[in-house]
Amino acid sequence: MSESSAVIQVRGLVKEHGQGESRVRAVDEVDLEVPQGEMLAVMGPSGCGKSTLLHLLGGLERPTRGEVWVAGRRIDGLSERALARLRRRSVGFVFQAFHLVEELSAAENVELPALLAGGSPRQARRRAGVLLERVGLAARARHLPSQLSGGQRQRVAIARALVNEPLVVLADEPTGNLDSAASLEVLRIFEELRAAGQTLVIVTHDERVAAGADRLISMRDGMFVDDTRLAGATPRGLGDLLNLDG
Amino acid sequence: MLLLAVTVATATLAMGLSLRGASDALYVQTRAATAGPDVVALSGDTGRAVTSALTGLADDPEVVAHHGPYQIVYADLTTRGSATSPVVVHGFDERPAAINRPLLTSGRWIRPGGTVLERGFATELGVKVGDRVTIEGRAYPVLGIAVTAATSIYPWAAQIGPGGGPSNYTGLAWMTRADARELAAAHDLPVTTAIDLKLKDPGATEAFREAHRFPAPRVNLHSWQFNAEQDARILRNSEPILIVGSWLLAFLAITGVAALATGRALEQTRRAGLLKAVGATPALIATVLLTEYLTLALAGEALGLAIARLAMPALASPTASRIGDLGGPGTGTVIATTVLALVVAVLSALRPTLRALRTATVTALSAAAHQPRRRPWLTALSALLPTPLLLGLRLTARHPGRAVLQAGSIATTVFAIATLLALFAEPVRGYGLNGSPALPNLRDAHDRRLLLAVTALLIVLALVNAITFTWTMAIEARTNVAIARALGATPGQVTAGLSAAQLLPAVPGAALGVLLHLGLRWLLTAGNAADAPVPWLLGAALATVLATAALTALPARLAARRPVARTLSAEAT
Repeated sequence: MSESSAVIQVRGLVKEHGQGESRVRAVDEVDLEVPQGEMLAVMGPSGCGKSTLLHLLGGLERPTRGEVWVAGRRIDGLSERALARLRRRSVGFVFQAFHLVEELSAAENVELPALLAGGSPRQARRRAGVLLERVGLAARARHLPSQLSGGQRQRVAIARALVNEPLVVLADEPTGNLDSAASLEVLRIFEELRAAGQTLVIVTHDERVAAGADRLISMRDGMFVDDTRLAGATPRGLGDLLNLDG
Repeated sequence: MLLLAVTVATATLAMGLSLRGASDALYVQTRAATAGPDVVALSGDTGRAVTSALTGLADDPEVVAHHGPYQIVYADLTTRGSATSPVVVHGFDERPAAINRPLLTSGRWIRPGGTVLERGFATELGVKVGDRVTIEGRAYPVLGIAVTAATSIYPWAAQIGPGGGPSNYTGLAWMTRADARELAAAHDLPVTTAIDLKLKDPGATEAFREAHRFPAPRVNLHSWQFNAEQDARILRNSEPILIVGSWLLAFLAITGVAALATGRALEQTRRAGLLKAVGATPALIATVLLTEYLTLALAGEALGLAIARLAMPALASPTASRIGDLGGPGTGTVIATTVLALVVAVLSALRPTLRALRTATVTALSAAAHQPRRRPWLTALSALLPTPLLLGLRLTARHPGRAVLQAGSIATTVFAIATLLALFAEPVRGYGLNGSPALPNLRDAHDRRLLLAVTALLIVLALVNAITFTWTMAIEARTNVAIARALGATPGQVTAGLSAAQLLPAVPGAALGVLLHLGLRWLLTAGNAADAPVPWLLGAALATVLATAALTALPARLAARRPVARTLSAEAT
């Protein structure tokens, strides 16, 4: 399994919460393979286990059973320290609630993972500048999160997720807290990332996001009930769907 | 936390304030039980003129009764355990007199060939009834143990020294008149002659003294008030140690509880919002929010007063020379401790309460965590540091006020430890012969025990504070900690960061404590006073910082291992 080219591989993954009669199986015997460069969307009703799956893939939670491989390395048995190091270099997170550090500016938020990874402050700042430029927020680099709109905050969070050039970006309801216009801004960035070959796993309720993915998995009660390859989902296709100019 | 802090602070204050009256209360009760004289006249001169002068005093119309004259012989005493001490031997009648009638607490009164020892003296010598003591080479059985109000407490039983000069630390023994006379004659020992007087008006001792000034022979008149004052000498340092200690404890209480209250500010703001929404007035909201703190503070005060009541007998009478019951703390003491408890509660909880009151209802109901102030230069500086220090400095910068409180808490503790070390560095002159330490210096030992107890309480509170500061910070910063972990910070780095956030103020705090000690020492003490060696002081500061690091490690580690996904999911809802 470790010799596969897949960025993420999952076998027989189970995650249970609670004890005794109140035990709930959030993820139930799931198998998954996400190749390099794929944009995977996971959809399903609330409480079906989408977010838990994402947390398991990123090493934020430990599975009850099963295997999780990231970049050819099995991670479900790793120490918290090793998982943290893995997240630094290989995984970028984007959360529905943004989770930016409120007292840090947009640039400081973006450069934080680089500093935690031991990068020099100068390099981290330069990289943050490039990424903020890429998400269209160069002019707001010194703004605090409270001075930014929801869409702008999510774009800062995406820039932050990319600062260490991760193998995979895991996004949990990235447009869940955004209005329509802001959602379009975020979708445009995901489209660019996909076009650039960035592996993306996005948990979403938003069909517009799902429509732009290479593959769509539907979840219910912790299980995958459908796994569809969206043949027409090209960067151009997503642009058409969103009526973007390109 | 509030209960503990207020209890120790009020107990210490109550003990400090009660000491002043306690010594007097015990003297008055001992005086009543022993028919203590109003005035004792003593003369170190010899000859008929002395006896004549002393008996002449008894004829004064103001004098209603007297005892004596009797001889006081200055001698040396040795126990079987080889403890040696100066002793004054009072030559008394075998039948108790009308005034100055020592109260036997064990054994029987004097007989020829035997001696009775004063209780404080006997306790320090470790001598009991039936033991034998050697006075100037001759063995005497100890027939009894007694207390008296005619002299000050042990070790100040010798009211005047030989020839009317200064006296050493001295114990008291009684013998028959004949034995005392024989003892003095056999060894040619210095003798003072004394007479005990009872006045018509016991309060008019000063007027009596003024009316009887002898150019020759030299006669010293010691009033009962003078003896009571002398008694209090043993507690001379106790009162400031306890009162200053209570201030320091109160300060630590405020810092710790304020940190706790700040940590609960979000919850309080939401409660305020709920109350506002149902129409509560600001006064009612303030009352509701403060009631919990006030109730706990008053419960702590009650506990503190009870502890003070139990501890006072040992505290107020370090020698066994006095008898009696101290009763409970006085009204003034209760008022002072109540004020202290209320001040601690109000100062601790006032800021979060006011913030909750000022927050608009809708905002309060949806109260998000307090927005920390941005500090760009600290953020830029921290970027240059290794990850644990980066996290530590940024966590500290979120609440600089708390860092100041933490530094103050550490400074207070190090200051107290340094003062304790300085006290222990001072040479102690024992009560044995020629300052021999065979009989320990009760006053210094008492001071050291008290300062040790106060310092121990300060250390306990400071340690509790360190844990509280860390835990409060960890709770408040849980989202940021979870974000940092999601972005790749290891639990070890987060643990080190949380500990570093405590150590950053602890290091300057410890340095400030040492400097405060040295500064006050330089200002308040004589140039030749002994001080703790500098390596001791630096060691104390270092030990305090290391103890803070060790104590904060556990809550920091627990906080660093909190599940990231659960924290972030909870914050998102």
